[in-house]
Amino acid sequence: MTVLKLALSASLTSLLLLSACAKVQKIDMHNDTGAQVMALDYRDFQQAASEATQSMLKSPALNIVNGKRHVLAISEVRNDTMQHIDTDQLIKKIRIELLNSGKVFVTTAVGGAEDKMNQESRDLRGNDEFNSVSIAKKGTLQAPDMSLSGKILQRNINMGDSKQQVEYYFMLTLTDLKNGLAVWEGESIIGKRGSDKSVAW
Amino acid sequence: MKLYTILFGVLLLLTSCSSKSYVKLVDNSVERYIEVSKINKRRINDGLIEIQIIGENKTDKYRSFRYRVTWEDKDGFEVPSLSSKWTDFPAYKNAEFRINVIAPNTKATEYQIYIDKKEK
Repeated sequence: MTVLKLALSASLTSLLLLSACAKVQKIDMHNDTGAQVMALDYRDFQQAASEATQSMLKSPALNIVNGKRHVLAISEVRNDTMQHIDTDQLIKKIRIELLNSGKVFVTTAVGGAEDKMNQESRDLRGNDEFNSVSIAKKGTLQAPDMSLSGKILQRNINMGDSKQQVEYYFMLTLTDLKNGLAVWEGESIIGKRGSDKSVAW
Repeated sequence: MKLYTILFGVLLLLTSCSSKSYVKLVDNSVERYIEVSKINKRRINDGLIEIQIIGENKTDKYRSFRYRVTWEDKDGFEVPSLSSKWTDFPAYKNAEFRINVIAPNTKATEYQIYIDKKEK
């Protein structure tokens, strides 16, 4: 019994010591000199989003027509990689940049960026507990005239000698919803090479 | 003579204050490899400013560098943009390279472009 107690307390002490010594380093997001990883990290999303928005801003697709901004809906952006990533890591950056550009509004009434409160606040019509003047009127939601869709692809290639190459493709399309035509398309490719022991998912 | 000196001083002051935009090589080692020869500026869609920097890799080796851009409005306040993060660009041996940047919105009128060696 005493031996068991001794062993237990020794294990606990070692655990405590280990956790106290484990060094955690905060990443300097402005000048990250850390080594690249095989999986997608924030630097890759930043690069892909920057390339996409620069290309979109240069294209005439989002030009303001008759003084009116476009209303952009976020459609499906598929994650076709082996990683559990939220595609908002890419799309949010693009949305922020486009909104700040003054060329578009992003709708949260429909699509992938949906805010259910748009509908729930309208469901309050007829509820005596609420001042009816403060409830959104019928026909006040703006329908989108543009849609952003896309996918992120991953391709793993075995290079032999315990090495692998991982390619990531960020493919985006901007569609004019009035006629269904793709008015802008963009693709960014990020490639990484490393040990096949590095996990890319 | 005095009048000329004053006029020259005023002219110099006006020139130095007229633009807050510039391109800067932030590492001495970069200057050994590349040279910026021209900066083009134009207004494109909906009044956004586009900047094109033309330079040359003077060496016999392909090199990779990085740049970042900060944008300012007319009052000198920073206009946030994804281009303020470092972006890599290639400079092929003994060849011209171009960097194109679009302003994040029409409020962004001045720019500062920094070119640095690429972090390994």
